[in-house]
Amino acid sequence: MSISAFVLFWAAIFTSNILLTNFLGMCSYLSVSREVESSFGLGVAVIFVLTVTAGLNWVAHHYILVPLNIVYLEYIVFIIVIAAFVQLLELIIERYVPALYYTLGIFLPLITVNCAIFGVSLFLVIRNYNFLQSIAFGAGSGIGWLLAILMLAGIRAKLKEKLVPVGLQGAGISLIITGIMALGFVGFSGIVSVQ
Amino acid sequence: MVSLRIRYITTVLDDIMKQTPQEIKIDKRMQPGVITLSGFLGDDTRHYHEIIETDEQTLENLGKTPEEIADRMQYFTDASWNSYDTPLEIENKFVVETEVVRGKLPCPFSHPGVYRKAVTRLTNTELGLTISWSSLNLHMIKEHHFFEGSGSVFRIEPELLVKVLF
Amino acid sequence: MALRIIYDILALTGVCAAFAVLLVIAQKFLSNYGEMKININGKRDLTVKGGNSLLSSLGDQQIFIPSACGGRGSCGACKCKVTEGGGPLLPTEKPLLSKAELADGIRLSCQVKVKSDISIVIPESIFNIRKYKARVAEIIDYTYDTKGITFELLEPSKIDFKAGQYVQIETKPYAKMKQKVVRAYSISSKPEDEKTLQLIIRLVPEGICTTWVHNYLQLGEEVNLTGPYGDFYLRDTNADVIFVAGGSGKAPIKSMLEHLEVVGTDRKMTYFFGARTTKDLYLTEYMQHFEKALPDFTYVPVLSHATPEENWQGKTGFVMPFFKDAIRDPKNTEAYLCGSPGMIAAVTKSLVEHGLAADKIYYDSFG
Repeated sequence: MSISAFVLFWAAIFTSNILLTNFLGMCSYLSVSREVESSFGLGVAVIFVLTVTAGLNWVAHHYILVPLNIVYLEYIVFIIVIAAFVQLLELIIERYVPALYYTLGIFLPLITVNCAIFGVSLFLVIRNYNFLQSIAFGAGSGIGWLLAILMLAGIRAKLKEKLVPVGLQGAGISLIITGIMALGFVGFSGIVSVQ
Repeated sequence: MVSLRIRYITTVLDDIMKQTPQEIKIDKRMQPGVITLSGFLGDDTRHYHEIIETDEQTLENLGKTPEEIADRMQYFTDASWNSYDTPLEIENKFVVETEVVRGKLPCPFSHPGVYRKAVTRLTNTELGLTISWSSLNLHMIKEHHFFEGSGSVFRIEPELLVKVLF
Repeated sequence: MALRIIYDILALTGVCAAFAVLLVIAQKFLSNYGEMKININGKRDLTVKGGNSLLSSLGDQQIFIPSACGGRGSCGACKCKVTEGGGPLLPTEKPLLSKAELADGIRLSCQVKVKSDISIVIPESIFNIRKYKARVAEIIDYTYDTKGITFELLEPSKIDFKAGQYVQIETKPYAKMKQKVVRAYSISSKPEDEKTLQLIIRLVPEGICTTWVHNYLQLGEEVNLTGPYGDFYLRDTNADVIFVAGGSGKAPIKSMLEHLEVVGTDRKMTYFFGARTTKDLYLTEYMQHFEKALPDFTYVPVLSHATPEENWQGKTGFVMPFFKDAIRDPKNTEAYLCGSPGMIAAVTKSLVEHGLAADKIYYDSFG
């Protein structure tokens, strides 16, 4: 692809936000956005994991799956790579930055099942990115995800849930808010493109 | 070890979908056999958030805040603190006594701090009604607006509290 | 075709295996802290496996720092002074430590992980605390809600404690209880009985341990105990003594009286047992036996709610009004109180008014 990594980075944040445009990574987004602090912590962890796993999975695809002709097993291998990396990350953080480990707590294993991570890895294969593009796309997607969850957390903190009709409280109103935010982000489309 | 991890993640998945990790921890601590014998939820199937919101709504309709109720409970507990093993008559229509047993309990809301096992029994002689609460109940009502799930041994209905206390 | 499938499966297995190996190596390297040294009070050095909490590392070495919450960071009972090592202060410790304690290097030993050599300072009395495996030898029903349980110590087979101290007993999972909990009870038997100890346990509504003891514990069952703990014990002086304890508070007093019977004493002692009705009285004849066995001991049960049907001939009301008859020289009188904090406050006030020195009033406020 001829798009520069730099442009991809910005596109991944705004015009093709992994959460608001592709609606990936919803589960933890909806539950953790109840608290702003946890949202920030989770978002930062997601950025880090997304960037690195994008790179790792690019390597896995081009140097393991393709040569061995098992590209159809891509889903399984990508998940294994993500899980292994998150586990490794947990061990490293626990050893060297214990205070951070206690703050992130259960968020680390939680990230493994975040479909945004898996989605990004699949996108870079489908859109045929090179290594640098993959990293840029991963980092941008992570920042885009952080942005989305922070915005929802901020809105929910100010939202007077009591004014929301009972049936829409919780997930219902959150999804409506997310939809409105997504509409807002559609306004960015056409500025830059992801492929 | 990785497989153990994946198994752990999948069992956590269900809960994660609907609650933050902190909420899951609190919910676990409210189950029977973790902090108290019968737990804090009784046979209530609602999530503790819902229980709190419903009770807060009831109190708003009755015109009292949980803090007011907790302060009034504290007033009775303090008054009867020193007359151990003996009921005390207050304001001509309340008979109250507090009994303490050894040990302290942590709060299920997972913040640090432990609470004495002190149970206060209050009788409103005018209405002929008796209610009892523990120090932990008092704390949970004041700080967390939590009155425990319906069917729980230590749950006191907010309406009953308002009727008896004031 | 089949070959292709086998080949692909092998390839996938190979990839998984490679990652598994990578993680195992990483864990060995990252989670393995090797052996660390714990220096205690500047005198003793322990070598432990690094990476675990200070509390559990010491526990593995048979040094038991008191803990009421089992190492979860809720109770703050496991405070310990760390002079070197220990790592940065963790967010789980801060809420339970005061500024003075933090300045003094006090940490929560259940949260501090031994990731490097560490030096700590702990009181000498902690070395006497051991974990015991014991067997239920006898269960006596004292009242409708109070039982006396005698435990035979198996391993270690002897316990060294002062009359008045308490132990912690570990429950076993039962009924809806999936986990074990730890609860404290005063020792009611004399220290001279080194191979056994008795606890007096009263059934508390919704109590995890008392329900287990009253409804599930069988003769011959093995339980784990840890102890002895506590600063409440009989002082070896010649002063007169006033005991005040009702209900299960009688346990440490029983221990003290049995001990005095064995060692012999001519101290003037009075024991005020406050209760509500005759149903709450127990071991009355045993106390009357002490009146004969000890040269100057008087047992004074005082009931606050005796009904006319019970035909109670003894004293009624609160215990405080009867103190003055028992005190002959307030400056040479000690008091031992065991009960609720409210009782202790009220009785202490009365005793001080009668002229006793506040530092000669020892108490166990069920803390």
